[in-house]
Amino acid sequence: MKASTRSVLPRVIPAALLVTLALAGPWLIPHAVDKPVTMPFGEPGHGAPLGGDQLGRDVLSRLLAGGRELVLSALLIAVVVTAVAAVVGTIGALRPVVGRVVERAADMLILLPAVLGVMLVALSWPGGGRLAVIVAAVALGLPYAVRLTAGAAAPVAASGYVEAAAAGGERLWFLVVREVLPNLRATLLALLGLRFVEAVYVVSMAGFLQVGPQPPAADWALMIRENSSGILLNPWAVIAPSAAVGLLALSVNLAAAALAPQTGRKAATLL
Amino acid sequence: MRHTPVNTNADREELVAAASGFGVRARDGRQLLEETSLSLRGGRLFAITGPSGAGKTTLLRAFLGHLPHGTARSAGTVRVLGHDMFQVDDDSRRTIRRSDIAYVGQDPVSSLNPRLRVRTLLTELGSDSTAAELLAAVRLPSDQGFAARRPGQLSGGQLRRVALARALSKRPRLLLLDEPTAGLDPALREEIVELLCRLTREHRFAVAFSSHDRDVVERLADDAVHLTADGGRRPSTLRPVAHRPAPATEPPSIATPGAPVLDVRDLGVTFARRGAGRPALAGIHLSVAKGSAAAVVGASGCGKTTLARTLVGLCKSQSGTVRLDGTVLPATIRRRSREQRRRIQLITQDPLGALNPSRTIGSSVARPLRIHHGTPSGAIGALVDELLHLVGLPESFTGRYPHELSGGQRQRVAIARALAAEPDILICDEITSALDPDTGDAVMGLLHRLRQDRRMTLIVISHDLALVRERTDTITVLADGRAVESGATADVFAAPRHAATRELLSSRLAAT
Repeated sequence: MKASTRSVLPRVIPAALLVTLALAGPWLIPHAVDKPVTMPFGEPGHGAPLGGDQLGRDVLSRLLAGGRELVLSALLIAVVVTAVAAVVGTIGALRPVVGRVVERAADMLILLPAVLGVMLVALSWPGGGRLAVIVAAVALGLPYAVRLTAGAAAPVAASGYVEAAAAGGERLWFLVVREVLPNLRATLLALLGLRFVEAVYVVSMAGFLQVGPQPPAADWALMIRENSSGILLNPWAVIAPSAAVGLLALSVNLAAAALAPQTGRKAATLL
Repeated sequence: MRHTPVNTNADREELVAAASGFGVRARDGRQLLEETSLSLRGGRLFAITGPSGAGKTTLLRAFLGHLPHGTARSAGTVRVLGHDMFQVDDDSRRTIRRSDIAYVGQDPVSSLNPRLRVRTLLTELGSDSTAAELLAAVRLPSDQGFAARRPGQLSGGQLRRVALARALSKRPRLLLLDEPTAGLDPALREEIVELLCRLTREHRFAVAFSSHDRDVVERLADDAVHLTADGGRRPSTLRPVAHRPAPATEPPSIATPGAPVLDVRDLGVTFARRGAGRPALAGIHLSVAKGSAAAVVGASGCGKTTLARTLVGLCKSQSGTVRLDGTVLPATIRRRSREQRRRIQLITQDPLGALNPSRTIGSSVARPLRIHHGTPSGAIGALVDELLHLVGLPESFTGRYPHELSGGQRQRVAIARALAAEPDILICDEITSALDPDTGDAVMGLLHRLRQDRRMTLIVISHDLALVRERTDTITVLADGRAVESGATADVFAAPRHAATRELLSSRLAAT
């Protein structure tokens, strides 16, 4: 147990640090996020280590403040999508009739492009703000995730122990939660990581399209959009938020992969 | 303690593989395999015997350079063709595994790719022989129809033979067989034993095999090693019977004939396979009196397991009825009430798949107590210990996971779990084939006591005809999905009427 903890820790720490920094960021800012401290697109230095943005506001402060909402929404989206998909997919694998209906419905929804979906929700729900983005991202992410979990759950649902549990009088809920899902931990953790990356992407895209957070709020996606015109004057105003989005996605994925069980509790070993 | 072979008459045959002072230990310090030395020579068969959990499978797999997860070599070496399998680099080990060693596991179901056809399974390792020749060698139908089937469409015994044929197809120097005859009917076991003898002499490969079957070991093995498990494994309640009681001394029936608790009428099952399917079962009648023991026997692939699965509702019948105490049971398990499910429990043939790999032994056994009997949490621990004790496992097993147990130990956990539900009818599908004879006898003795004490009804599916003769009151013989003969066990054994029955009874192993 100790040996595995040692090997897992280095891969979990980057994500933990980055998420903590993003969550605690608004309390650490050196300058107010909406007051100019330097020239528009001012170069780094003079109390603004990453320079100024289009209105001369401190890029570092806006970077620190702009991650919390993104991280929270992305986490919420990833957890909801994975949890719902795990349950629906497993029920689909255990009950073939339900499974067929779910798969056909998922096939239909997969055809809808993410951009179009987000715009649709934003247009039909103008005051929705961040909640509208979250709802859209969950609705768009579910079909893929359900297809994946249904596929992963199918061999487990056909295994001897699930049959034995069903023959032993277990109800559907117990079969899903206690018999099938614990054996899908690796798949579900990988899915969680992927859905987080996908959620960061969808939420940032919505921010870039100005669905959700509105100026003058600090938001990484919004920063990229606002400052792209001055990329030659102060590249940090665009690079810093872009790198933050990228690193967040990468490190969370790494952590999810590290937490997934590698070997061990398998019925039959290799060979 | 050290294990040394019983019979080491040094041979001039080429030394293919050898273990010297080889031992395996788990990370928590338990010794899984005591230090063992043995030599495998070309053209000779080496038997590895011992009670379940003694490390037979671990020793066989060590020749592949593979140890179970969470264990380490405590001492000694294992050499194959001069290479130390735990020292060579990965590439050489892979080459040796690919070209010189063939391993056939205890559970053929999980080792054969379910998506491939038999033909592909047999020829993909690049053999010179055709699929038809290989199938003929293991006495399977060599027609195109059979070669086009997939593993899911074969019976347990047929899968075992396909796995053996696949291993033989690459002409290995070293053949490792884990329980090669488990789950085979006597006639087939006979053929496999002869086949192994002949092939070993012809192709001069070295064979190491593990077996619980004393008769097979006596007839096949040139050398043997007997492994012993660590102490205190078998509690006193399960002291194995010294001799099998003679059939005459045991009362053939302890049940007063009354209304049948289970009554099967005209049962038919067909697996739909692209339009017209072949019936797996047709017109089965079976009537079992309360507290009695009924045997279902037949050649491998005749539909015994399908019958068991249909009775518990895992397999849907197309025709006929199953009555439990006069009430017709719904055909599928989902339509049956929890109480109806509790009353019929099935212990399956495959001990590897029957336990959830992510739940501990204790929680698996505790679950039926909780849902069927509403046992309060405080009392569950003691009851689980008692059930494990009944099947001869120590209490310390409650916290372990299935992958830490041997095949025989898992089988006993599956038995304990079925008993926890306190069923009225217990269906045992080949439950003793993964157990050594002493434990097998003790488990059957336990079931016999439960029949007497709780008036539990037993349906025994087995290839072990000695067990059937001693332990059951009535017998039903299946052949090609039909019940060809049924009656009191003693009568059928004394005067078999149908050809299929005579064939089953006439094999040498059945006569012992």
